[in-house]
Amino acid sequence: MISRRTLTFLSFLLPLLAWCAVSYVPALWHPQMLIEDPGSVDYFQTGMRVALATFDDELAQAKAESRAEPTGWPANPIYLPAPDEVVRAFYSAFTTKPETRDGVWLHQSLWHSIQVIFWGFTISSIFGVPLGILCGTSRLVAGLSEPFIEFFRYLPAPAFGALAVAILGIYDGPKIAIIVIGTFFQQVLIIANTTRKLDFALVEAAQTLGTRGFRLLTRVVIPGILPDLYRDQRILLGWAWTYLIVAELIGTTTGITWFITQQARYQHFPNVFAAIFIIGIIGVGTDQVLAMLGRRLFPWDRVTERTA
Amino acid sequence: MVRKLYFLLALLAMPAFSAPLKIGYSDYPGWVAWQVAIDKGWLKEAGLDTEFQWFDYSPSMDAFGAGKIDADLVTNGDALVMAGGGSKSLMVMLTDYSDGNDMIVGRPGIKSIKDLKGKKIGVEIGLVEHLLLLDGLKKAGMSEADVTLVNTKTNDTPQVLASGEVAAIGAWQPISGMAMRALPGSKPIHTSADQPGLIYDVLVVSPESFKARRADWQKLIGVWDRVVHYIDDPKTQDDAVKIMSARVGLTPEAYKPLLKATHLIDLAEGRKLFVKADGFGSLYGSSEIANEFNFKNAVYKDKLDVGSFIDPSLMLAK
Repeated sequence: MISRRTLTFLSFLLPLLAWCAVSYVPALWHPQMLIEDPGSVDYFQTGMRVALATFDDELAQAKAESRAEPTGWPANPIYLPAPDEVVRAFYSAFTTKPETRDGVWLHQSLWHSIQVIFWGFTISSIFGVPLGILCGTSRLVAGLSEPFIEFFRYLPAPAFGALAVAILGIYDGPKIAIIVIGTFFQQVLIIANTTRKLDFALVEAAQTLGTRGFRLLTRVVIPGILPDLYRDQRILLGWAWTYLIVAELIGTTTGITWFITQQARYQHFPNVFAAIFIIGIIGVGTDQVLAMLGRRLFPWDRVTERTA
Repeated sequence: MVRKLYFLLALLAMPAFSAPLKIGYSDYPGWVAWQVAIDKGWLKEAGLDTEFQWFDYSPSMDAFGAGKIDADLVTNGDALVMAGGGSKSLMVMLTDYSDGNDMIVGRPGIKSIKDLKGKKIGVEIGLVEHLLLLDGLKKAGMSEADVTLVNTKTNDTPQVLASGEVAAIGAWQPISGMAMRALPGSKPIHTSADQPGLIYDVLVVSPESFKARRADWQKLIGVWDRVVHYIDDPKTQDDAVKIMSARVGLTPEAYKPLLKATHLIDLAEGRKLFVKADGFGSLYGSSEIANEFNFKNAVYKDKLDVGSFIDPSLMLAK
């Protein structure tokens, strides 16, 4: 029997090994040559990547005409940097001082992004969680709101960008709004569904004992669904993160998105990958902390124990 | 009571006059040049309170269109597109014209525009590279009917060219450079350097802000003159390139070619370009050609009165 910890370790190790293999074993892929010395080929430049076949042609021709031969190494396309390049980019991204006067450190951009996510998710939850619970418990509320929410959740949040800017300005307002739009509608439906799954025997027992209306909600329904609700919120928080990149392009470009788009524009892909991993690490990190907190908060919930 | 109300209104209105000028800028050498003024503190020195806001190009136009910034940096053609969409704006100064940054790149074996006869070309239809292609075709004695256009997002042109689906693509730097690196042997067959003035870059200002803050905009134009001379002077160019390349995350060496293909326009040159005339030697003439192009591509239903979107008074002021 393999322990869970080993499995977790392996689940990260396997993709990493695959990435290393593709990056460091030339025989596996490496469809291009990275030119070291252009030799006598007029359009080659040092540091240029050319297709393997092109390189071979030029090399053969140079040999045949006994001109200076081009040299180079097999390489992957620029879009797939090797792990060590990404690790170095990761380190230097955090340690590079902002060069312009109004520039910011990477950790400051990240903090900005985290704040945008936090507010977007908080605002969405303030409205989404109560509405979801009400939908799950009241036929009237559900009938009145769910059809429209079902419709609205298919509308792509980023399409509201220009409207959000017109109403909320160019700074964090429209970004937060996009995250709210992207999260809220899913949130209501998911939480309504969770609420409906509450063991009906509990509600019946409480009603038999004379609990009615609001008290039923606060004393029975909410405590009953709390562990599941908490788990839903964890999943939804991840959802909010996926809207971050589009949200931050609306209005002024800020946060981690500024870093990613700017580096991608000039094909600095090690930096792009490093930034993507940073988001992943923050995401998994928060989720693990929340899972631990969940085990403390709801010790009776065995499902939490099993999945988290 | 009424007086009290007036007093309150006056209080409310006051911040509008002392608020900083909000200007949107994005990643193009002629606009990143403002970073020199920002980093050197020249705007404050000139007694200006400005906020330069970094945008992606299209979102900057959204923000300007929504009236959330006072000014934006765009091409003259796009200024007309925004105007056609109902955002009132005035072109009040020129930053640069593209001098090679925009190009039509042909596959290996395609040596000139003439070789494109009967072939497919990947361009983003209705955008500036489309206009550049039409200019090239016209110069070669051809027209759009002689080629087949494939509507391609400018960002995707490097892959499309490399795939062999098209004989040429239209893109601007740094995308055009990537396209050439992705397909060795491909090269530019027509660039904006062949037709200076086809693409002017301008500062557009909202008419409200222009009226209320005229003196400030006048000062800003003075700062721009200083920026151009600082960048063009060989003695200070290295320092300027260092500031600009840092803004976009490139090394100074990698940035120089981009800057070289951008012809910055100082005040003296700008004055000449702000004189009404036909053809590419005048902002009016160039914009009229863009107007015709936008109209043909159904960007707007009726042709615009180009002159009403250009205000030369700041440039021509002594």
